[in-house]
Amino acid sequence: MTQRHAIAIDTDNSPPRTARRLRWYVLLPLCCVGCLDSLPGKPTEADRYRRPDTIMDFATLYKQHCSGCHGADGTLGPAPPLNDSMFLTIISDAEIKQVLDHGRAGTPMPAMNQKQGGPLTDQQIEALIAGIREKWGAKSSATSESLPKYAVSVHANGQPVGDPIAGKQTFADSCASCHGEEGRGDHALNDRGFLGTISNQALRRIIITGRPDLGMPNYQEAGEESGAGKPLSSEDIDDLVALLSSWRSAETDESK
Amino acid sequence: MKSALMKFLWWFEHRLELRKTIWPVMRHPIPRDLRTQVGWLYVFGSTAMTLFVLQIITGIGLGMVYVPSAGEAYESLEHINYEVELGWMLRAIHNWSANGMVVLVVVHMTQVFLMGAYKYPRELTWIIGVLLLLLTVGMAFTGQVLRWDADSYWGLGVGVAMIGRIPWIGPQLVELLMGGPTMGADTLSRFFALHVFIIPGILFVALGIHLYLVVRKGISEPPVPSEPVDPATYVEKYEEKLKTGDPFFPDVFLRDAVFIGLTLLVVVGLSAILGPKGPSAPPDPTLMQVEPLPDWYFLPLFAVLALSPPSLETAIILIAPVIIVAALFLVPIFSGKGQRSPRRRPVAVLAVILFLLCYCVLWQLGVQEPWSPHMSAWSGEPVPESMIKGRSPKQLQGAAILQEKTCRNCHALDGRGGQRGPDLTDVATRLTRDQLVRQVIQGGGNMPAYGKEMNRDEVDALVSFLETLKPDGYAAAESSVVTDRSD
Ligand code: HEC
Ligand code: HEC
Ligand code: HEC
Repeated sequence: MTQRHAIAIDTDNSPPRTARRLRWYVLLPLCCVGCLDSLPGKPTEADRYRRPDTIMDFATLYKQHCSGCHGADGTLGPAPPLNDSMFLTIISDAEIKQVLDHGRAGTPMPAMNQKQGGPLTDQQIEALIAGIREKWGAKSSATSESLPKYAVSVHANGQPVGDPIAGKQTFADSCASCHGEEGRGDHALNDRGFLGTISNQALRRIIITGRPDLGMPNYQEAGEESGAGKPLSSEDIDDLVALLSSWRSAETDESK
Repeated sequence: MKSALMKFLWWFEHRLELRKTIWPVMRHPIPRDLRTQVGWLYVFGSTAMTLFVLQIITGIGLGMVYVPSAGEAYESLEHINYEVELGWMLRAIHNWSANGMVVLVVVHMTQVFLMGAYKYPRELTWIIGVLLLLLTVGMAFTGQVLRWDADSYWGLGVGVAMIGRIPWIGPQLVELLMGGPTMGADTLSRFFALHVFIIPGILFVALGIHLYLVVRKGISEPPVPSEPVDPATYVEKYEEKLKTGDPFFPDVFLRDAVFIGLTLLVVVGLSAILGPKGPSAPPDPTLMQVEPLPDWYFLPLFAVLALSPPSLETAIILIAPVIIVAALFLVPIFSGKGQRSPRRRPVAVLAVILFLLCYCVLWQLGVQEPWSPHMSAWSGEPVPESMIKGRSPKQLQGAAILQEKTCRNCHALDGRGGQRGPDLTDVATRLTRDQLVRQVIQGGGNMPAYGKEMNRDEVDALVSFLETLKPDGYAAAESSVVTDRSD
């Protein structure tokens, strides 16, 4: 600094001074352009329109395409919560992708892949799955081995494996206190409007994970609070799904 | 040095003789009465004209980079916005100054109308002025088309549909405008030609005549109730006034200059703070999530179109504009003399107020955009949590079905969602279960029928959910003669 000052003094009135002035003539306009560039009206990359199929940000994708049914934060929506670490522990990426690609026939879950008429590309679906895992996935080390498996097992004819007769007893023990005798009452499950619009897969999943957001216990709590006093076994769950499924077909038969 | 410069200038003056032509025009006398506050009402015309000049300057700048071809226009706009140094500023100023010009032309006309300045002997000045208004609107519309994004593409579609309904020549006119029966490769070039050559050309000529008339016939004096216009004596009286008048330059011009300066500041300020408009989504009809909106000055027009019943649409489209434009043109023919003061012309004042009211109300409707569904509400607007808590499993399914069947695109819950149909938050206080079932299955009004798209279980679950939509403690609707609609 001082050195430069010194130079300025001993070169007074000599050519470098004009050079310095010249520098200002160059710098000032550049400065102005710089200021203009920082004006609030200057469009930034964020203002640029992006085709919906180039959006990869999880929060945006989830908000636009899923929050309507699965809830703003993945809970308290009409559809099963995605923000549920037990659910995310038992379901595999491939299974999530299968749901997103094809939807669930006969339920409100729509196909989301462009190849199936939905709005999303393969990459966007991958981004969603990764985002769901990262944001809501299990933080603990709980592994899926210690939990009932996600997928519902079915016979060759599509009927779920499991014994509806045995299911009746399990239901009376573990579920009827809230859902009523034979599934009829205030929180009725034995109802065509309910069973006719939900898949067995979702039934199984809800029995396993419960709906913590709505006060529905998971398979451990429901079993432990029942007469049996222990978590529902994988078999119990099969039987319950078979029971609910049999109610569905009974209702359909009646209505014919 | 100085005398050399003078010599140089005199050389030109000797040949141009501006002192004998332009100078007297600059000095033309303006009635003294304008010296008071009222003189500030006379500044809008010249300001509008200045913005027009600004439009030409910025327009030429944009024209150097803009590519008027359907395939490249959108990209070239993005290029101007993001890559060209200060290109965004150019676009911003062109946009805000265009807005300002539309506003000022209308304000100027309103002032002229209210002060009766269009009466004898300035009828023709008004008529040319109306033409200038139409040309300005034409510039605004064609300019919006050049933005060539989803808004503009859609706006053009609506405009073309209107023109296409004109009997006899409609289809031919559409073809001429669009370079084919539908929007295509030639459309943008046609509108480019309209926007940069044809309309500005006509505007220039009309503006020239307008200015000529303004100078020849003189600036009208502020109206005095006791001095109605009588063609037999008006000119004589007016010329008497001019004898004591002030020269336009520099006395009166100063006021114009102040207001012009202010306006330019506002335009540049808005550009710096709010920036350019768009381009929004590209003009690709396959982008379903786009919800187009026209530029604000056309909103009321679109609101009228969207809200008018289909049976009246053609009449409204074709007859109303003709009547309005004809009325504007004919105003000075039918009331070309007599009282000028707004205090004695209640009908004129009421007409202006009525017009403003209609415009604002329609504009408000346009902003809310009630006629256009919100295409992404079904998957993007969560069902309010209060409508989820405490609901039965079946009702929960119903809420999911409400979303899946895209009811939310037309119906809001708690104010969120489309506005095309009524908000359903309290629907159970209005309709009984039977009525709800009927509405869903048969539709009605502007609502599609869902009977064929849903099975019984779905309708059952959906309606069970709708039945819960009432404030806590409210009784559900009961069937009665009054509310039971038998459609
Ligand atoms: C229109 C409502 C709706 C939308 C939008 C929606 N879902 Fe679903 N989703 C459902 C319903 C209802 C189910 C349960 C379907 C069933 O009965 O099996 C479901 C099930 C699922 C499941 C399986 C859950 C389980 O318990 O087996 C996943 C994973 C899922 N959705 C992810 C998503 C994602 C990610 C999105 C956004 C891209 C999305 N959904 C958008 C309604 C929706
Ligand atoms: C402590 C009370 C309680 C018990 C015990 C209980 N549930 Fe639930 N269940 C709920 C609540 C609360 C809901 C949320 C819906 C509602 O309020 O009706 C629910 C919802 C459900 C749903 C629908 C979820 C949805 O998203 O639509 C199913 C299926 C279900 N329960 C099955 C069962 C089964 C099977 C059992 C027995 C293993 C069981 N529940 C035990 C309270 C309970
Ligand atoms: C295209 C837009 C649109 C869609 C989609 C739509 N509606 Fe409507 N809905 C309307 C309009 C418009 C009305 C008013 C009809 C009238 O005035 O008669 C209406 C009326 C209603 C009403 C009567 C409201 C009242 O207060 O009188 C109900 C209930 C209703 N709709 C439910 C639904 C359901 C459920 C769905 C989805 C299955 C749905 N709507 C889908 C446009 C729509």
